Amino acid sequence: MKQIHPTLLRLLLFLVSFQAFTKDYIVSDFGAKNDGITLNTCSIQKAIDFIHEHGGGRLVFESGNYVTGSIYLKSNVTLQLDYGATILGSTNPFDYVKDKKIGWMSMIFAVNQENIGITGKGTINGRGFITANNMVNYIHRGVYTDPLKYDRPNETNRPQNIYFRECKNIVITDITLRDPASWNQTYDQCKNVYVNHITVDSKSYWNNDGIDIVDCDGVVIKNSYFDAADDVICFKSHSPDFFCQNVVVDSCVGRSSANGLKFGTVSRGGFKNFKVTNLTIFDTFRSAITFAAVDGAEIENIVVDGVRSINTGNVIYLRIGDRWGKGKKPYMKNITISNVYAEIPLGKPDAGYNFEGPIEDLPRNISPASIVGLLENKIQNVTLKNIHLVYPGGGNPLYAKRGLSPAELDGVPQMRDAYPEFSQFKELPAWAFYVRHAEGVHFENVTFTANKKDYRPAVVLDDVQNASFKRFVVEEPESAGKQQVFPYKSSAIQLN
Amino acid sequence: MKNLFAHISLFFFLSPLALCAKDYNASLFGIKSDGVTLNTQSIQKAIDFIHEKGGGKLDFYVGRYLTGSIRLKSNVQIELKEGAVLVGTTSIHDYLAVEGKRGLIVAEGQEHIAVFGKGVIEGQGAGLFDALQKQIQKGYLTENAQEASPAIVSLSHCKDIRIEGLHLQNACGNALIFSHSQAIHMKDVAIKNRALPLLNGIVFMACEGVLCQKLFIESSGKELSTSADCKSFTLEGCKNAAGKLLVFGK
Repeated sequence: MKQIHPTLLRLLLFLVSFQAFTKDYIVSDFGAKNDGITLNTCSIQKAIDFIHEHGGGRLVFESGNYVTGSIYLKSNVTLQLDYGATILGSTNPFDYVKDKKIGWMSMIFAVNQENIGITGKGTINGRGFITANNMVNYIHRGVYTDPLKYDRPNETNRPQNIYFRECKNIVITDITLRDPASWNQTYDQCKNVYVNHITVDSKSYWNNDGIDIVDCDGVVIKNSYFDAADDVICFKSHSPDFFCQNVVVDSCVGRSSANGLKFGTVSRGGFKNFKVTNLTIFDTFRSAITFAAVDGAEIENIVVDGVRSINTGNVIYLRIGDRWGKGKKPYMKNITISNVYAEIPLGKPDAGYNFEGPIEDLPRNISPASIVGLLENKIQNVTLKNIHLVYPGGGNPLYAKRGLSPAELDGVPQMRDAYPEFSQFKELPAWAFYVRHAEGVHFENVTFTANKKDYRPAVVLDDVQNASFKRFVVEEPESAGKQQVFPYKSSAIQLN
Repeated sequence: MKNLFAHISLFFFLSPLALCAKDYNASLFGIKSDGVTLNTQSIQKAIDFIHEKGGGKLDFYVGRYLTGSIRLKSNVQIELKEGAVLVGTTSIHDYLAVEGKRGLIVAEGQEHIAVFGKGVIEGQGAGLFDALQKQIQKGYLTENAQEASPAIVSLSHCKDIRIEGLHLQNACGNALIFSHSQAIHMKDVAIKNRALPLLNGIVFMACEGVLCQKLFIESSGKELSTSADCKSFTLEGCKNAAGKLLVFGK
């Protein structure tokens, strides 16, 4: 991971310089009211513009509730939210701008700015449930135009809390983000994004992602807690000409009704040079880790070290697909995932949370972790080391069955252009790990435990070249002598 | 002869407006009559929507409608029904300017526009002036107080304007400012503009084809202020608070 160190150094230098020039301005001096009623959009914008034009500084929100619509953060301005200060999003969708360049609505925008931040122990609360439902009403009345796909306004027609585009040197620390009507915070084609010690509590509406990093270079996310209706920490690549690269994620805890750590779904450019350490995912509906290259993404040099995945529907899902279909050839290679302990539940892991994940792809018994490439685009060189996955087992072939005959194994659908989720193939022929269309998959010091006997083997390898299992243990009741690794159309398989 | 020309052109402009008018209730756009909710963007959305649909009328029924500056667009009429009060916010940063003149209702380069009805437009001039002065004292506004003070109506380069039947009161600046506009018809409007000293009633700059009928103007400054280059100007039965008939150019 030599590539990351210069980035960290740059960030550190930037942080030091960031502290040096901070003049404070109080937002109430510009006429903003902290009464939770007054709409302060224009006063806050005036304050930002003034500070920006006078050499920069912090705009301080003292404790109280400040209602606002869309504002644009400008270079050298930091919003400082003191303890007890809350920026409340207006519940009127017309108080938000749909930025012409970005094509999304947001409460706090920044476009082409540098040295900007949002800091302090205060809160940004989008109040998105009300805003989104107000928008639904306007659409039904014909006042706003939207196709209402899935009976909800498009993600771009609901305000996010934060959307920064093409900005440099961003500091987001200590704040709590709550309840936007869409994603929480997006950093898109930005350089040097530093996120430390934030809290996201966001189950207010569909698509409430925790944090979205799109095509950014130089990102640190650490010591943060996320409880989100949609993906927790989500890296995306909207442009085939850009990458998410040089990224550190450390000591984060997440809960989601979708995925924990995700690459994609929009994955056009790619994801390179990641180091993810000490990640905890719990009560999460889909996968703790999903890396998707379904739109031509190039994914390489990814290290994930230290994962606890408790009461989470799936642990690892690596997928190459061909959804975008613009001829760009995807690849995924050099992935190392180590020191993982996971417990997969029998029941619905996110039961009881607002906006639970959708129950779909039935019937199927508990799905295994999966690595699934394409026949012509294999996933290459994946190392899984020091892993213990605990499954409920108990797969019942009378409910759903995928056997080991060539017809059944070939019958697993390829789903090249489908939305990638671990459950998409319905019943899979293994209970712990399913690998298809891959080259070089290495398991070392790996234990798979089933709490009950399952009709399937632990592992199925389909079209896999060069796989190894060292210090490999399978624990399954009443299964002495069962063949737990089943290779099919595979070669160069080494077992213990 | 000039008066006749003004009348004919007014008739010509107003007639197509009447043909395509559709009425929209303010509540359709989520505009709130509670006197607390700042409705700026909802009213703006309504105006833009009606404008894009080819024109029509936005109706405000009884209630207090708090707002910052709204931009009127071509072929849009606003009717304030009896009991409806459009209230200007006291936050100075919520006001927009056309040609350097802030106003609660502003428009630039629009035509066939109207604001009328039995309702009231309240400028909250005293409170707004306090807020304005605080911002100047802190150095956050660099204009002088007089320049920065918002009017109730500030229109520039507009054509075919009708303002009728309203009660306009307590502007922070001059009540109405028309600049470089043509075919202005004002009728039965009562203006009370004495919240602050030395405020004018109506200011016309480089306007052409103005017909004012039965206006009542009570102001702390001049009732009417007209620049020398105003043309085709007719006043009929317009009075000040003392009952004196108002005359063009005086």
